[in-house]
Amino acid sequence: MNPTEIPLKSPGSVTDLSIGEVEQVERALIDASTRVPVLMFYASAVVWLLLGTLLAGFTSFKLHSPDLLSNVALLTWGRIRPAHLNVMLYGWASNVGMGTAIWLMARLCRTTLRHPLVLVTGGGFWNLGVLLGICGILMGDSTGYHWLEFPSYAAWTLFVGYSLIASWAVLMFRFRRGDPIYITQWYLLAAFLWFPWMYLAAQTMLFIVPVQGVLQAAVNWWYANNLLFLWFGSLALGTAYYMIPKVIGRPVYSYHLAAIGFWTYAFFASWTGMQRLVDGPFPAWMITASIAAMILCIIPVATVGLNHHMTMRGYFHLMHYSPTLRFTVFGAMSYTAFSLLGVVISLRSFARYLQFSEVSSAYSHLGLYAFFSMIMFGAMYYIVPRLVGREWRFASLIKIHFWASVYGIGLMTLMLIAGGLVQGLNMDNPTLPFTESTQSVLPYLRGRSLSGILMTVAHFVFAYHFLLMLLGLGRTASVPTFLNPVNPEPGEMVAH
Amino acid sequence: MKGFTPLVLGILATLGFSWLGLAYIPDLQIGHLDPQSDEEGTDIYPMPKSGMAERGRRVYIANGCFYCHSEQLRPDYAASDIERPRDAAPSAPPKWGDRRSAPRDYIFDRPALLGKTRMGPDLANIGKAAPAEEEAAPAQPSPGPPVAPAALPPAASTSPPPANAGAQQNAKPAAQPSPPTPAAPPPAANALASPANAAAQPAKPGAQPPAPPASAASPPQTAAAPSPAASPSDSPVAYSAAWHHQHLYAPRSLNLDSNMPAYKFLYQKRRVGGEQSADAIKLRGEGAPGEGWEIVPTYDAKCLVAYLMSLNQSHPLNEVKSAAAPPAASPAAAKPAAK
Repeated sequence: MNPTEIPLKSPGSVTDLSIGEVEQVERALIDASTRVPVLMFYASAVVWLLLGTLLAGFTSFKLHSPDLLSNVALLTWGRIRPAHLNVMLYGWASNVGMGTAIWLMARLCRTTLRHPLVLVTGGGFWNLGVLLGICGILMGDSTGYHWLEFPSYAAWTLFVGYSLIASWAVLMFRFRRGDPIYITQWYLLAAFLWFPWMYLAAQTMLFIVPVQGVLQAAVNWWYANNLLFLWFGSLALGTAYYMIPKVIGRPVYSYHLAAIGFWTYAFFASWTGMQRLVDGPFPAWMITASIAAMILCIIPVATVGLNHHMTMRGYFHLMHYSPTLRFTVFGAMSYTAFSLLGVVISLRSFARYLQFSEVSSAYSHLGLYAFFSMIMFGAMYYIVPRLVGREWRFASLIKIHFWASVYGIGLMTLMLIAGGLVQGLNMDNPTLPFTESTQSVLPYLRGRSLSGILMTVAHFVFAYHFLLMLLGLGRTASVPTFLNPVNPEPGEMVAH
Repeated sequence: MKGFTPLVLGILATLGFSWLGLAYIPDLQIGHLDPQSDEEGTDIYPMPKSGMAERGRRVYIANGCFYCHSEQLRPDYAASDIERPRDAAPSAPPKWGDRRSAPRDYIFDRPALLGKTRMGPDLANIGKAAPAEEEAAPAQPSPGPPVAPAALPPAASTSPPPANAGAQQNAKPAAQPSPPTPAAPPPAANALASPANAAAQPAKPGAQPPAPPASAASPPQTAAAPSPAASPSDSPVAYSAAWHHQHLYAPRSLNLDSNMPAYKFLYQKRRVGGEQSADAIKLRGEGAPGEGWEIVPTYDAKCLVAYLMSLNQSHPLNEVKSAAAPPAASPAAAKPAAK
């Protein structure tokens, strides 16, 4: 069987059990209505991704070579680092997440997107906010709160943009057709409602009517962990719940498991903030509550993981062909790894050594890259061809992107965990000089810089490929681009 | 999932619940602490920082110091934070602290820069680590009675090798009677004005200067110190203001293993007009400014050092067990300080 005989459309998932010609046309219309805003979000996300990658490499090299370009205030490590972080959080991850979410919302609500220009305006404000924020940080205007470094002028520009985007996404619910709300919609709706909730609460309690002393740190990490779990995590899990069943053409294994996973996630993940401040100057119950919540997060991890696994069972070989599936499944698996590492570093007996070490950096990267970003790459490989009407041009570039990303993030995680462990053990040994702990982690940090080179390659390859798609230089074919020549067994269904 | 409304309500309620638990209730519990004082209402701790130190906090934040330096000490049962000595002092190095940090330590901090990673040492007590003279004249002018001579000008604050002890004695009372405002004028080339600027210390009224300008002390010292850069006897006393300036300007001139970036952009290189400024950084060997040039801190650098010198959690708190206190003091107080 050669690739042209493979059915183009998926044989159906839970939301659309029967696909007639009418529905195909309808979908094409919905996709067309989302084209401009979603591509705009994606394009700006990719630009920020490249910038953030360069800043990341710079941050990483400067950490073990502190004299590198240190004489310019703009380029000092303590400014480049938050610039990198915020470019990635608000420039890359939020843009790509919102673009994907809008497309998924339109698809799942089965409604065309009305007045896409409002979304474009919102996206413009958002990106302007990020730009202002990054410039502010580099100029020395950082607020001093982790993950909230944007000065107020940038923060509020960002929020205006967000309000336009989110209200539009939520309004789509009003026009939805078909009543059952699919799992993906729970997560997306939740993400769109949670983000303003946490952002406004944090802005209010930190800047408008600031709370006293250490509580600022508590609110800060409450926000940061919620941003990680409830904003990025929800967007990624929702996307995975769509992509995996869609690509393999099979309904989700269990709705009940999904519901348990969703509500336990909402309930426990939102309580984990203080996990970053183990044994800090707080009432012990706050920290203990967060550690307990972190441990209880194993419940949603297990249910979501089980659900995806049972859905995938018997179809794992499709990862050989479908780029979307390969990225998404890697991301979903990383979700488990990320959560388990989170549990480990929260436990008091480990936190003693690991709390102030580079392991916390490994943790953030596992969450934001291995879990979130990989799922979003997968989603882009699925969605972009449907927006531009072309297929990805080179399977080889997708492969390079995948493997460079996987080896990059894998090496980075290993280096940071191993290095952080050595660093933490030395740090907790008061008979050694303190510099022993920083010196001992340097070789690992150099290894991490190496992994950064891999990821830089991955991102530039991806950006080039994406640019080809934007320019209409993709393949005009009736079948999607597979990673490997498809040669399925007779009777087997393969979908993109 | 049935129905849109229950879904939305559930979504909003879950996050609301966690906000209630991790932000609102803690605010009721520890969000309105007052400074502690003894029965007579004196000995108040903590005190707000001076304007200069507060501006220093902005410099500290702007340059991301808090990404590598924490300002929190965990209790002795949780980690060995308070047993750890600092690296730089040659003899009897100061420890990171005597007790764990407690919420009350931070009530005037905005933001409270607890920190998340330690690529550099904890700074919760870095001001306490300053040598005794410095400690007596903390960077903020207002609180505390003025005692003892003001900061030594950098040239004089070397740990005294016997050879140039005499020069040091001369230089010691170099503080000028200048207005005790922290808003010191930008460094002037005039050597007579600058000892007061030295190390961002307000001059203390007590020290009436026979005032040999610091530079007067340096030529003999330079002559008496043939050793290359980074020799300990050349360096300012560890954790003094002069030490901080040199450390910020060229970290590896004081500790070869340091991983800190240099903050040269907080310093100015300029021609020596007449006498050398007292707050000029005394670098030797590599990185030295060269004949006829000197390196002086900008006002931001002075504020930053004032902020560092103001970090001090050594004052005992009733709710926290201090390492120095008898162990009987506190079975309950070992718990984190609730109200």
